[in-house]
Amino acid sequence: MVKRILYSLFFISTILSSCKKDGTTTVAERPVVISYLLIGHPVKVNVYEQKAFSDTAAYGPRIGGLALALSDGTQTVQLTETTTGNYTYVDSTFLQTGKTYTLQFTYKNTVITASSLMPAFTSGYAASRTKFAIRVGVTPAESDSTAVRFSWNNPDSLYHVLVFKYDEANTYANGSGNFPSNFTVNAKMADYYDVPYRPFRYAGGYSAILYTVNKEYSDILTTNTNTNSQQLNNPPGNITNGYGIFAAMQADTIRMSLTN
Amino acid sequence: MDRKLRYTFLFILLSGVAYGQQSTREKLKKIRVDHFFTCTLDQLMDTLAAAYDIPIVFERDSLMQMDITEHFFDEPLGKVLKFACKANGLQYWIENDGTLYILQNPDDLPRLKKRYELNQTARSFKPVILPPPADPPKHFMFALTGHVTDQKTGESLPGASVRIRGTDLSALTNTSGNFTILNIPSDTSVVDVSFIGYQPDIFRLDSNSVKGNISFSLYPSLNSLSQVVITGRKKGVLNTDSKKVSVIQLTPALLDKLPNIGEKDIMRSFQLMPGVAATNESSSGIYVRGGTPDQNLVTFDGFTIYQVDHLYGFFSAFNSNAVRDVELYKGGFSSKYGGRLSSVTEVRGKDGNKKEANIGGDISLLSTNVYAETPVGSNASALIAIRRSYQGPLYNKLFGQFNSSAANTGGGAIRGGPGGGGGGFGGGGFNNQTTPSSYFYDLNTKFTYAPSTKNTFSWSLYTGADRLDNSREMTLPSFLTSSGGTLNIADDTHYGNLGTSVKWNTTPSQKLFGSTVLSYSSFFSDRDRGTTGTITDSATTTTINNGILENNRLKDAGIKSDWEWNAASKLKLLFGGFNSNVKIDYTYTQNDTTTLINQHNSGSTTGAYTELEYEPNGRWHIQPGFRTTYFSPTNKLYYEPRLSAIYHLTDHINLKGATGRFYQFTDRVIREDVAGGDRNFWVLANNSNIPVGVSDHFIFGTSYETDKLLFDVEGYYKRLNGLTEYSIRQLGGGATGGGPMGGGAPMGGGGAAATTTITENFYNGSGYAKGIEFLLQKKTGIYTGWLSYTLAEAKNKFDAYGSSYFSAAQDIRHEFKSVNMYHLQRWSFAATFIFSTGHPYTAPAGVYNINTLDGNKISYLSVSEKNGERLPAYHRLDLSATYDLLKTDATKIGSISFSLFNVYNHRNTWYNEYYIRGNQVVTTTVKYLGLTPNITLSLKLK
Repeated sequence: MVKRILYSLFFISTILSSCKKDGTTTVAERPVVISYLLIGHPVKVNVYEQKAFSDTAAYGPRIGGLALALSDGTQTVQLTETTTGNYTYVDSTFLQTGKTYTLQFTYKNTVITASSLMPAFTSGYAASRTKFAIRVGVTPAESDSTAVRFSWNNPDSLYHVLVFKYDEANTYANGSGNFPSNFTVNAKMADYYDVPYRPFRYAGGYSAILYTVNKEYSDILTTNTNTNSQQLNNPPGNITNGYGIFAAMQADTIRMSLTN
Repeated sequence: MDRKLRYTFLFILLSGVAYGQQSTREKLKKIRVDHFFTCTLDQLMDTLAAAYDIPIVFERDSLMQMDITEHFFDEPLGKVLKFACKANGLQYWIENDGTLYILQNPDDLPRLKKRYELNQTARSFKPVILPPPADPPKHFMFALTGHVTDQKTGESLPGASVRIRGTDLSALTNTSGNFTILNIPSDTSVVDVSFIGYQPDIFRLDSNSVKGNISFSLYPSLNSLSQVVITGRKKGVLNTDSKKVSVIQLTPALLDKLPNIGEKDIMRSFQLMPGVAATNESSSGIYVRGGTPDQNLVTFDGFTIYQVDHLYGFFSAFNSNAVRDVELYKGGFSSKYGGRLSSVTEVRGKDGNKKEANIGGDISLLSTNVYAETPVGSNASALIAIRRSYQGPLYNKLFGQFNSSAANTGGGAIRGGPGGGGGGFGGGGFNNQTTPSSYFYDLNTKFTYAPSTKNTFSWSLYTGADRLDNSREMTLPSFLTSSGGTLNIADDTHYGNLGTSVKWNTTPSQKLFGSTVLSYSSFFSDRDRGTTGTITDSATTTTINNGILENNRLKDAGIKSDWEWNAASKLKLLFGGFNSNVKIDYTYTQNDTTTLINQHNSGSTTGAYTELEYEPNGRWHIQPGFRTTYFSPTNKLYYEPRLSAIYHLTDHINLKGATGRFYQFTDRVIREDVAGGDRNFWVLANNSNIPVGVSDHFIFGTSYETDKLLFDVEGYYKRLNGLTEYSIRQLGGGATGGGPMGGGAPMGGGGAAATTTITENFYNGSGYAKGIEFLLQKKTGIYTGWLSYTLAEAKNKFDAYGSSYFSAAQDIRHEFKSVNMYHLQRWSFAATFIFSTGHPYTAPAGVYNINTLDGNKISYLSVSEKNGERLPAYHRLDLSATYDLLKTDATKIGSISFSLFNVYNHRNTWYNEYYIRGNQVVTTTVKYLGLTPNITLSLKLK
């Protein structure tokens, strides 16, 4: 009787413990690809290694000597490596609205691919005003009140981000500390966005650029707040067998002038 | 032969019991002694025994050495006895057969009893036997209903065994202490009543018994430690009438014998049993068989408790002084319970002493705990128990455990702390923090009123809260002569429960018992974190006013009615209905104005259940059940069939099995908050992103039991669908400061980027849990304890993480527990050892930055397979020693207990934390508690 119990225990433990672990040993070896395809501009792709934890450099070592192929569905072109890890295709007419671009290369015997659809240009981009005074050191309610409304036509609910670039060479320290002068607002699928006073910290000229993007770009902006080992998740991105972003987009710009 | 004889004798001896103790106690009170004694103590005892016809048993050799010289002037006999004992360091104890034992040490009792017994056998002594029937039997084949209580307090005893001698008729008392047995042969039958921790007793029925609601009272046994503290009350484990599979029962009265971290903890004690994970030091919520704490329904006197712990999970929300008993159903539970996928914990509060007023309490390095109970009039009783922590060294140690890396740096040298790592001003990591003021408290009160033997009303209230006030003022040092400033940082967390219920127990007929509960339960969790102040930089003064405000409110009002109908002696029908209305509000506001999350949901569940308990013959116990629930948000009916069965293979071996379907309509989700501990909140299932959870249980087991040993094996398989995981993704704060990992982003980042928005993601998936549990338990004797081993697996599959199964966060492969208790006179010693496989976790493999369109960089961690790595194995040894404080009549009035948690100071890993600072990833390993001593003094008046 006891023997039989022991046998069955052994049997059950074997069943339970025989589940195999999936082999994904190359996570750390996967390359990082960063490429923004902007219509009217040459194609640029940067390929890096991931960084070690203790590495204080902004980017990992660049990966050179790769054969990058870019396809628009009908035609495939090879990118040339200008400097190590920097790959380009200079003919800016290659990028056209409505085509899906697929990047492919082999690294460490693994095929890395990514693709992105060039979205349509967004028409009707307008700002409610382009001149106003910044508000710094005011109450939160004032700080969060709308400074300017940006609107555009979006009948197909495409993703949009608004990028604000400070055009002046020097920042005027009106805020405290190092508030970034450039910032992004993720408008997602909306057709307008009310930007509050809060992010405008410096007087001077700003470029308010409306990018028409795909979901993949919108996704990498929404960051994961979890940092402990119980909660870590895969980072967003659209590179198969790799990390980073490969995103096609169109842009339109409005210039703004802010005063103190 | 000798043994048989002894049993026969014991049987005869026991026959006298029901009336013995009462009469001896009466004698001690009523008999007056007016006498001058100057003799040895053994002579005194002989004199008293002969003069007043009390059997007194003592060790003559020892008592011969002791003398008494005293003149008693018309003193009660009890006082004489007390005086004599006290003067010589002795104690006396009255067994329920009326025999009075003189003890030098508590452990003398079994020896004296045995000797007494043998002497009597030798002398062919015939003790008083059970009184013969007063009248010839008048009633035949009638139903007996009654109530089993504690003789000292009048408290009901659920789970007590009631048997009719000479028949196979028996019953267990239900949760209200009531029982019904049908087809009693005659009104002169003899009833055996027994319950763990009490002296078994015998009662003779009479013609009045037919009227119903007879009350049987049991006396506590002298040394309850020779019984097990926690018992796996499965079929045939301790009580051959047990009709449940996968049930653990706990009696809090004996909890002080186990090591503790500061409080006698009910929920934590369950963690010593197989099938309940023991390695979650930071959670009093229990992980049952690969389930999560929110899959465990916790009810207190009929209302649901949503926040089951205090101080980040270190202590359970239940005050053990206010709890009568707790039952944990590990799976395959009865159709009476529902609404959770995994398990049920039913906590029942004490009614309060119905016999005499009493007051007591505990004081430990962590908290003070006071309770008072009293009879109110002739048929009511009341109880109140209050507990509050204070900020002693132990509290601070535990608090620091959660805050050392979380909030001790104003600006977040490592992580973006409350000061806001993402923003510019917090980067220095100035540590001007004062000790946070924080505490928890809880209050239980209960009033029980029994206007007649057929009806009992009780009102129960529980309220408890945690307040963690981490607010402080931070003075910014001047890097330059022109800069500086002061910030006031508010960091106030407040959460807790309020629950109340009115319960009506009724016995309208002898075959019908009903219990109806009106309940209200609310849960709140508020967090206010903000920064106000000024910063002067280069002669410009800036006013800062940032913050978040988070509120979660849950309200649950319901009614539940449970009925038991004893249709025939082998057939019992349980049925009932329930309705519960839940309303949940959750808001997350930033800077007073921007509402990031704003949810207001409500829903109701209405349903009914029925269940049959059927014993076709002596070997089978079959319990089929069915439960159906209507859930308003999905506008659907849910059907839950259940079945459990037990088969007695032999007297010692039982086979058992259970299966069933279980639905869950409310989910608890955890919003990770690195700066202030995770925030829990509850959400209701809906038709879209939060599905209704469903699980199927399959349980099979066997047990082998003798009088002293129990060997129990149970295997389970659980299929789960509609699991929900919650994750917040935020936009904003992705500037150069902290990167995406900068924990302070909602605030610090708010200052930096502008428009923080939060995306809530509910990931849905399925999973399974399977395992096998072994328990080897020594139930009686000076040494008691158990070994338990669990081999288990819990895996989930979420589309968001890929198409294959990954280990669930609570997945533990091997878990070994050893609980040892040794009893020596007034001392009891306990050692518990736990070994467990480490928890799975996801490890980062590398780090990379992406430059975004605005020219800033965002950092990302590339991660290995979801939960693909394991933390180091967890192991820990706890020791405790408890000294009982006894009165001269050997009743326990308290104890002093010394406890060492994690004796060899093995710092078990809780989790790893990763921060990105200056492009580097900083890894911090957060550890659980090291060696922690504690001392607890418990006292009660009576």
